[in-house]
Amino acid sequence: MGLSTLTTERQTDSVHLVHLRLRDFRNYTRLEVEFRPGFHLLLGGNAQGKTNLLEAIYLIATLRSFRGVGGAQMVRQDASGYFVGATIVGTSTSEVKLYWSVKERRLSRNGTPVKRLSDYWGTLRAVVFCTEDLALIKGTARIRRRFLDLLLAQTSPGYLDTLLRYTQALRSRNALLKQHRLDEDQLAGFTQELVGAGQELMRERRALAPRIAPMVQSAFHRIAEQRDALQWEYAPQVDGDFNVALAASRARERTLRTTVVGPHRDDIQLLINGRSAAHYSSEGQKRTLALALKMAQAEHLTEVHGAPPLLLIDDVMGELDANRRAGFLPLLDRARGAGGQVFMTCTEENWPRDLASDLSRWKVQDGQLRRAVADA
Amino acid sequence: MTVLPAPLVQLAAALGRLPGIGPRSAERLSLHLVQADKQFVEHLAAVLVGARTSVGPCQTCGALTEAQPCGICADPNRDGSVLCIVERPVDILGFEKSRSFKGRYHVLGGKLSPTQGVGPEDLRIAELERRISGEGVNEIILALGSDVEGDATSHYLARRLRAVGLKVTRLAQGLPVGSGLEYADELTLGRALEGRREMSPG
Ligand SMILES: Nc1ncnc2c1ncn2[C@@H]1O[C@H](COP(=O)(O)OP(=O)(O)OP(=O)(O)O)[C@@H](O)[C@H]1O
Ligand SMILES: [Mg+2]
Ligand SMILES: [Zn+2]
Repeated sequence: MGLSTLTTERQTDSVHLVHLRLRDFRNYTRLEVEFRPGFHLLLGGNAQGKTNLLEAIYLIATLRSFRGVGGAQMVRQDASGYFVGATIVGTSTSEVKLYWSVKERRLSRNGTPVKRLSDYWGTLRAVVFCTEDLALIKGTARIRRRFLDLLLAQTSPGYLDTLLRYTQALRSRNALLKQHRLDEDQLAGFTQELVGAGQELMRERRALAPRIAPMVQSAFHRIAEQRDALQWEYAPQVDGDFNVALAASRARERTLRTTVVGPHRDDIQLLINGRSAAHYSSEGQKRTLALALKMAQAEHLTEVHGAPPLLLIDDVMGELDANRRAGFLPLLDRARGAGGQVFMTCTEENWPRDLASDLSRWKVQDGQLRRAVADA
Repeated sequence: MTVLPAPLVQLAAALGRLPGIGPRSAERLSLHLVQADKQFVEHLAAVLVGARTSVGPCQTCGALTEAQPCGICADPNRDGSVLCIVERPVDILGFEKSRSFKGRYHVLGGKLSPTQGVGPEDLRIAELERRISGEGVNEIILALGSDVEGDATSHYLARRLRAVGLKVTRLAQGLPVGSGLEYADELTLGRALEGRREMSPG
């Protein structure tokens, strides 16, 4: 695919994080740091705060943790709330401030409180590569749906709003189904909203498949040892008209008192040589496939926005054999070539020296970040 | 070791309960008030109590009014055959400013919200049905917010009111989502009203 041409010929203003401020975030009491565009290597022993730092950056981009935890876990022990502040420079500059405590949540951009999530979305785009990625293959459908939703929210204007509408309609409808006496007229009112938003979600998810599938396939081939055939298939739970499916599920949803059909039950089928990757592939293949999904996400974002996303890479290099590493490195090089930013953690100084000549090296120790002196 | 006199603290606490007033603004306002011209403060207290006592919801339409019924409900020149349904009293202001509507209003007092426990019996729907049978209404214009709950409430009302043979329309799309009608400018409202469409049976 034309990614390399894309990144070399279309030099666009890439977006980067130039300033990060943390207060009482995980094991960081206070942190104040400036980052250049380009490649950043975060070195340090175990449990020093490397992953925590990536988590904070990802939080700015997506407002959630890639570890799948809520706000409370990210507040430093004995503190009452965390603060993450960031300056992001792209075509314009954004000053983001995020505060979270049990009592209060605040998010502002350039001094203005963010009222609608979709207004904030796109301020910073990031793709994370982490050990949790394996759950994309081994885990439940929910994890693959989240991947799909994030990717669409990052690339399709309006998707996030539709998703929020769908979620709200679903919650309302489920609350009605749990009521003592079912009000059919109210149910019909919320069903209409559910169907409207749900059909739009399914349409977007279906339309993504032919665009993303070849990218996953080619990423997989770049890093896999064998040229196994890989398929990505959108697997909607409702095949056909949502209204009809809902009507057919009438008896079941009344017994279970919850909405049993709809895009909230969708999945992605990942097949290697025609067989379910979750059930028939080796551990190595699963790892490769998980990595390929994330690489495809990064490439798709680059193609749609004309600028690479921030790449946050946690520990994965260590797990990769030479083959996969060789397939992975061009992605990093291209991101750098296009003026993007890459943050990568490593436990020791065994970082892939084949990677980069000019990189910023940081020493992470006990919730502190120090510039490491560059060795020749 | 309280630095401020107790009445001042009490005043700040009371002001702090107002929407949009944080603890710091509350303190600043109370400091200002205890040092302000005494006549002004007495006047403020009087108009405050006066407004609260004399203004209430119109028993017919739910708009805020001093008289019963309100000016709009009492005006013989308004077209009683068209009712515009809004969520809150403040939504009426936008339409009135736009001068594009000659019918009457009905304030619902909210929208259906199963997750917050708001059902049809918590809204002014029974009052609406009484008015429909008593006032010779033949068209209902739904002008609720366009979020999920607002739209679901519109579907619900359309279903319920069509059953009694009324023409049910809703505003043309294009009103700001979630921010409510009060922020819609007059021109937009006028256009939304003109382009209103009959609701299709869902
Ligand atoms: N809410 C919190 N408050 C205080 N400390 C925390 C909190 N959450 C995690 N930590 C601490 O942060 C440290 C882990 O940080 P992190 O996960 O970033 O480690 P790491 O440098 O990535 O290590 P590894 O190389 O093992 O992955 C642990 O010491 C943990 O106890
Ligand atoms: Mg780690
Ligand atoms: Zn009235």
